[in-house]
Amino acid sequence: MLKAVGGKTRPPRVGIIANPVSARDIRRVIANATSLQITDRANIILRVLACLKACGVEEVVMMPESGGVRYHVMRGVERSKNRGEEEFPNITYLNMLVTGSAADSVLAAQLMREDEVSAIVVLGGDGTHRAVVTGCGGTPIAGISTGTNNAFPDHREPTITGLAVGLSVTGRIPADIALAPNKKLIVAVNDVEEIALVDVAFVTERYIGARALWRTETFRELFVTFADPEVIGMSAIAGLLEPVSRREPCGLHVELAGEGAAAVSLNVPIAPGMMRQIDVASWRRFLPGEIAQPKIEAGSVALDGEREVSFSEQDKVTIRIAEHAFYTVDVSACMRYAAMNGLMRTSVTQQPEVWTV
Amino acid sequence: MAKNPFPLSKEKLLDAYRTMRTIREFEERLHTEFAKGEIPGFVHLYAGEEAAGTGIMMHLTDKDRIASTHRGHGHCIAKGVDVKSMMAEIFGKAAGACRGKGGSMHIADLSKGMMGANGILGAGAPLACGAGLAAKYRGDGGVGISFVGDGASNQGTFLESLNLAAVWNLPVIFVVENNGYAESTHRDYAVAVDSYVDRAAGFGLPGVTVDGTDFFAVYETAGEVIKRAREGGGPSLLECKMVRFYGHFEGDQQLYRGKGELEDIRANRDCIKLFASRIVEAGVVTPKELEKIDREAAQLIEEAAAFAKSAPPPAPAELLTDVYVSY
Repeated sequence: MLKAVGGKTRPPRVGIIANPVSARDIRRVIANATSLQITDRANIILRVLACLKACGVEEVVMMPESGGVRYHVMRGVERSKNRGEEEFPNITYLNMLVTGSAADSVLAAQLMREDEVSAIVVLGGDGTHRAVVTGCGGTPIAGISTGTNNAFPDHREPTITGLAVGLSVTGRIPADIALAPNKKLIVAVNDVEEIALVDVAFVTERYIGARALWRTETFRELFVTFADPEVIGMSAIAGLLEPVSRREPCGLHVELAGEGAAAVSLNVPIAPGMMRQIDVASWRRFLPGEIAQPKIEAGSVALDGEREVSFSEQDKVTIRIAEHAFYTVDVSACMRYAAMNGLMRTSVTQQPEVWTV
Repeated sequence: MAKNPFPLSKEKLLDAYRTMRTIREFEERLHTEFAKGEIPGFVHLYAGEEAAGTGIMMHLTDKDRIASTHRGHGHCIAKGVDVKSMMAEIFGKAAGACRGKGGSMHIADLSKGMMGANGILGAGAPLACGAGLAAKYRGDGGVGISFVGDGASNQGTFLESLNLAAVWNLPVIFVVENNGYAESTHRDYAVAVDSYVDRAAGFGLPGVTVDGTDFFAVYETAGEVIKRAREGGGPSLLECKMVRFYGHFEGDQQLYRGKGELEDIRANRDCIKLFASRIVEAGVVTPKELEKIDREAAQLIEEAAAFAKSAPPPAPAELLTDVYVSY
């Protein structure tokens, strides 16, 4: 259910999850993937914090971590205070054990949901966003691309994301404009369910290892929530075959071909700057309500580009797609609404006409 | 027997298990012997960290050279140094790898490409650059591997080596074995740039972080960085996040540990247990095959300890020999 953004009984608070373990994997070696430095991530958070404060958000709760983000943010806040500025909201940290893994993002999202934050700003790529959605329930998220493939989060200046979140959680943008619903894929290996926000790939490798996918000869099947020709990674295969938007009520199912059995061969950016030929046997729309099973009897399930679970002939694996699974802050819609309704005007000489989507 | 899903043959999987079990037995034995006062000098144990050294060294041959750390026993064993000569060295005996004059922190065997453990923190990185430069000049496809702990990564020698390796495009891999403690100091207290990958990026090197308790994560990633270096792709940094089962040195009270931390990592992050359960569950090896290796590793270390204890110390006349070695 779409719920109103912003706390009703107490001032709005925003959560921020920036897990420093994201964007550190093998794709920095096998491809020329981004290695966004911790100081840059802290600077992004400072920009978001300043915008939240400018919109009237006084309380922010952050995920603790041991990768250094906290200390760089703290130094930035202290330096600002020393200069007599009050540009940042009050920051508190969740009381949780830091493991230095993606599990921290899941737990932090759960705790923020229980704490009833109005929205969660996420710094990361597809993997971090998947972890947050695993735990956040109905709490809206706003993604900032700091990961490797970044098919799910928007590529945008984080300042604007901070503004959109600040305006929406303070109740100045109606929820039906501020929030957009998203699909997700649900994979069950026996009784254990995992989710993916962008893609689920079945590969023949039966070990997790370095997690990333780049050996195309192991690729067998692909399911995507949306197929965007402007992204990289596994979902780029689907995007270059048949675009399916984030808002359409279906995904795409692609079967890859063995040698000599391809209906279509594509040149695909499967990682940053890494172009590979992909042979496709068939593809079709994947509809809500369908329950599919992988063709391979043993292998690994890769969720949003990373091998996460291996399975054998004895395991039962199913996959399905769910609509309206979680909500994101629609930054474009928020900023259009803000401009058209004069939300950023500090002196009013002419009232704008009220505008809605 | 099920089809092998792993990137290694069954024989190689058992080799990896044997190496890790041998390191663990070796270190557990030193833990006991040190407590009895049988060992001169300090020892720093690699127990808990076996998957990192083993997963990396399985990609190397004797022509590849490694520069180790004060916590070097695991690197030595994984690189193929004779276990009996190592034990004798640690006991200060003439039959030791360095004739009993180096001890735990200076075990070397150049024939195996093991340039030495090193009591000077951060001092191994320039040596690995030298090995990399030699391999590049020879064109023999060899690589130099520098091991460094999270604490020693603050040393100027390490940072200068990152620069040198990048400028000369050397076939060198800088492995940061991050067990979370620089002796007893947590890095939050002492490190301004907390990410080792960020440090590499600062010098124009690609950096990767892996779970150092996951043998397959280390093995697969190390394979790629080493292949890259051999092919002329230049240096890179590999951070292995790991746990150590003992203190910084033997005798360390470890008062800096969190409550229940040691019990937790031994129960849940034991790299050997994780590796064993994975290859057994996949049906590639049987528990009996692993138990046989367990017994053989224990027997090997028993023999090594007996050998080391009964061996004679260096003769007084040998005091001034072996000060300089030409190679």
